[in-house]
Amino acid sequence: MFLQQLVNGLTLGSTYSLLAIGFALVLGLLNMLNIAHGDVFMFGAFLGLSFAMLGMPLYLALILAMVGAGVVTIIIERLCFRPLRKSHFLMPLLSTIAFGIVLQNVATQIWGSEPVRYPQTTEIAQFQLGPVLVSSIDIIILATSILLMVGIDQFVKRTSFGRAMRATSEKPQTASLLGVNINWVIVFTFFASGALAGVAGVLTALVYSQITPFIGIRQGLIGMVAMVIGGVGNLRGAMIGGLMIGIIEIMNDAYFAAGYRDIILFGLFLAFIVFKPEGLFGTKEQ
Amino acid sequence: MLEIAHISKDFGGLKALKEITFHVKEKQIYGLIGPNGAGKTTLFNLITGFLPATHGSIQFLGNELTGLKAHKIAKLGIARTFQNIRLFGTMTVKENILVAQNIRARSGVTSLVQFFSSKERELQEKADDLLKRMGLWEKRKEQSLSLAYGEQRRLEIARALALEPRLLLLDEPAAGMNEAETEDLLGRISEIRNTGKAVFLIEHDMNVVMGICDYISVLNFGELIAEGTPDEIQASEAVIEAYLGREEE
Amino acid sequence: MSVYTQGVIALMGVNILMALSVYAIVMADQVSLGNAGFMAIGAYTSAYLSVKLGIPIFPALLIGALAASFIGLLIGVPLLRLSGLYFVMGTFGFGEVVRTFFMVFEPTGGAYGFRGPVGATLPMIYGWVLVLIVLFWLLSRSRLGRSLDALRDDAEVASSIGLNVTLLKLGVFWLGSFTAGIAGGLYAHYMFYIESGNFHILVSAIAILCVILGGMYTFWGALLGGVIFSILPEVLRFMGGWRLSVYGSVLVLMMIFRPSGIISRQMVRNTGEWVGGIFRKASS
Repeated sequence: MFLQQLVNGLTLGSTYSLLAIGFALVLGLLNMLNIAHGDVFMFGAFLGLSFAMLGMPLYLALILAMVGAGVVTIIIERLCFRPLRKSHFLMPLLSTIAFGIVLQNVATQIWGSEPVRYPQTTEIAQFQLGPVLVSSIDIIILATSILLMVGIDQFVKRTSFGRAMRATSEKPQTASLLGVNINWVIVFTFFASGALAGVAGVLTALVYSQITPFIGIRQGLIGMVAMVIGGVGNLRGAMIGGLMIGIIEIMNDAYFAAGYRDIILFGLFLAFIVFKPEGLFGTKEQ
Repeated sequence: MLEIAHISKDFGGLKALKEITFHVKEKQIYGLIGPNGAGKTTLFNLITGFLPATHGSIQFLGNELTGLKAHKIAKLGIARTFQNIRLFGTMTVKENILVAQNIRARSGVTSLVQFFSSKERELQEKADDLLKRMGLWEKRKEQSLSLAYGEQRRLEIARALALEPRLLLLDEPAAGMNEAETEDLLGRISEIRNTGKAVFLIEHDMNVVMGICDYISVLNFGELIAEGTPDEIQASEAVIEAYLGREEE
Repeated sequence: MSVYTQGVIALMGVNILMALSVYAIVMADQVSLGNAGFMAIGAYTSAYLSVKLGIPIFPALLIGALAASFIGLLIGVPLLRLSGLYFVMGTFGFGEVVRTFFMVFEPTGGAYGFRGPVGATLPMIYGWVLVLIVLFWLLSRSRLGRSLDALRDDAEVASSIGLNVTLLKLGVFWLGSFTAGIAGGLYAHYMFYIESGNFHILVSAIAILCVILGGMYTFWGALLGGVIFSILPEVLRFMGGWRLSVYGSVLVLMMIFRPSGIISRQMVRNTGEWVGGIFRKASS
């Protein structure tokens, strides 16, 4: 039973990790928050749904939703961040809240506000691994998330573009003197952040198999909570933070009361902000 | 009145101040000189509670200052200015003075309904007096940052005086001033001492302070290398070396 | 006046109060994204008192707001040590804790919401608006107000002239949470029904937008912002289903083209002198 819940928690948590990484990428680069991130997640889920409805296989729908969500995030960068790059950090934050309203409304107009079910495009197979029952969907989610997490981690660590990203986040002036095209780095980072949110959206929609235009708000906030707990702006911290949140959520639902889930998560978040703002794996730089 | 004893300050591995000890006496103009980076402003920041000391003690009129918050230290009667002028930019000239009086005024919630009290009228008059004395009366309604550089320096000193301090700390008050302005400023500093206050000033240009200081300490690389009257300092080997050494760079 | 118009005007009063509650905290150079939390505490407390215990509306409102501001003090002590983005995230976390708390708190209806508080009228709402405007006006010309200006300009220098920065910050945090508590109480007693969704993060965000758009350096800005943000969604009603998209887009554009606010302090000064001039002319 406990092992089963642990697997469920990891599966759910891996989607939170993808969201948290997206937050951390933008925060690490610009020290700003994209509150519409959760709505990008929602938008990605609906895009994936639309493609799946057209009869596309899951992997194709996933890739297209990823690109779509990435493009939406580039638009967010153009409208909410670039014009406000020199202003107070609050301005882009509020601007993205407004953009989130737009995304929710557009989604409502296109897909309606009733919960929508994902079509069963793949046969769900169940595997019994000792005491744990794993479905093919769990495996898809875990595999995709882990693949992407390792991918982005290695990308930032090893490629020259990843080095440019790190340089820009640490010392933007120096980076631009060294010939890094900062705008390009920022656009790419936003795209990556949005693409990850889009994947997370499709994957989450597979688990819950029903989505509404309003799921983005809560998921986005949870992604932010995961990022803060892991360590603000720290990619690996965000990954672990997401997994932790997923496990806590599932354990709470299994052994305590589902209704208290969010109050526990937000309470944890508040406690971290107040007592350990650098998170579990961040460096102290307040 | 200000007794600094064995004060040290480390920033990480860097020792910014090492075992500094000296006294500033009542009604004295005390000068602390030394090359840039010697630790002068750090010492001011320790005295005014902006930074905690690593160890040592600072006493003012018998009160231990280390560990006290900045606003408590101001209330004990120490006011300061800053090397890079820090006026309240959103306020007018006079408002910069009025806000500094709050320490002596009823400035809590009761101040919401007190703009006609006799105490308030008295404070307004005091502020006007101070502005006149510092030659800023004509500019009282202007935005503080629209003043000329020398006037901003004077306003910052006036703001510090509005606290009615016993001890005034001036951080390079003559920096960026021409000769005439410096002369004028030194005259004002003497006047301030004549009203019974002690003045403790920092300067890296030793020529500025020689004329007005009663007593001078010399700081180099965080250590006191000499102290004495202006004449003694001018004759000191160590001081000459510190300053000449700087010029060789 | 139609019921619809009355409703819009009543909510405008609540929005103005929420904007003032944000402005109060902005006076200490901090931006709170959790004022909907204080609003919720004020709303649920006063509603519970008047519905379950039969306490008249005025004391119920007051107790609700005092409860909100007491929680404000409790949470303010640790939160006010944080700066910038961390303070914003901390207040945001607080708001969400409160909202999710009322979602599961059975005595006030939990997820079903709470029904029954009545008695808030337009004159009562605008009476409170007036009281708070007078308070902010007095504050803006008092020594206390000037201390706050100093803190906002340069907190370090403010402490060097003897101002207790921590106490000032805590004081305005108290005022902000009290004002939001009043707004919540009035909201509950006007709508007859509240649920946790009414105190969403968007409510806090809109209140901040009011202040930013109206002007961050004078409470008149909060007032103007409150009016604009109450009328804007109504004006956009003809857009039908796409209304919120247009609303959101307008906000995004506003941030790009008018990020410094409509009313500046200089404007208030000039207007003050202009009005004073008219009076002087009239009396001579």
